[in-house]
Amino acid sequence: MRDSDVLDNNPHISRSALEAIHGQVFGWALSRCDYDQAAAEDLVQQAYIELLTGKARFERRSSLKTFVFAVVRNLARSRYRRIASRLRLVRSEGAAVADEPVHPVEPDESARLWEAVQRLPRRQRDIVELVFCRDMTIEAASGVMGVTTGTGRVHYERAKKALRKTLKRDE
Amino acid sequence: MTESDDRLQAALSGVQARKEAGRVPDFDHVWTGAKTRVRSRRRRRGMMAGTAAVLALAFVMVVPSGDDIQYIDTAELLETTSWSAPSDSLLPEHHFDIYGEVPVLIEPAETYGGALL
Repeated sequence: MRDSDVLDNNPHISRSALEAIHGQVFGWALSRCDYDQAAAEDLVQQAYIELLTGKARFERRSSLKTFVFAVVRNLARSRYRRIASRLRLVRSEGAAVADEPVHPVEPDESARLWEAVQRLPRRQRDIVELVFCRDMTIEAASGVMGVTTGTGRVHYERAKKALRKTLKRDE
Repeated sequence: MTESDDRLQAALSGVQARKEAGRVPDFDHVWTGAKTRVRSRRRRRGMMAGTAAVLALAFVMVVPSGDDIQYIDTAELLETTSWSAPSDSLLPEHHFDIYGEVPVLIEPAETYGGALL
């Protein structure tokens, strides 16, 4: 970590360390935003602002990747809370609003598996993505999700069970 | 990880990678945007703080402060004012003399059966 690289309000984070995980952080943000490119970019930028201003302060209690993922997740949750409250307002005014987010259709044989992942309960879906797609341990993934490792393990096992069923049906 | 875990991982990471392929924006672009937003937020806050300071200063200058209190000189006060006891002001201006001012009652002087009525 070069001294000039270190963030003023976050002495344990460097610009180069963030750059190294940028792709993964963006992927995580993308899945938090239903694969909306612009929303994901804005979310990542907002996460960087939190780090730059020191509102989200890294104290080395986990890996930097786990920490930044948790920041993105928290920002996405508060953003969705705002969006959800706006939607409720719009619905109460009688406007027609699409109920479900539209997921891109997968053309290959993995489509059914992907659909199965999307149908999982939210926490199971999150831990599957973090462990299988973002190369995290269950401990780190639980840290990102803000649950204990035991709870994370339970979500992980349940998710795997549900997905194995889908894989068997595919065979 | 078991064999089925590996299969799951391979399948899912493949799908995920395809979904994200070519979509990751340049780090410098996002980072510069974040820094610009932080700077503009600081500038905006600075302007708000400056405006608040100016308003506070104007308020202090316009509204009379405690320094304007003037103490009255005792001698001057006694020379320019007259004093009377509060009970005096409550007294009626005309004092009614019940002996001098009560009208004399007209009494009949005629007798009735040798006696005055």
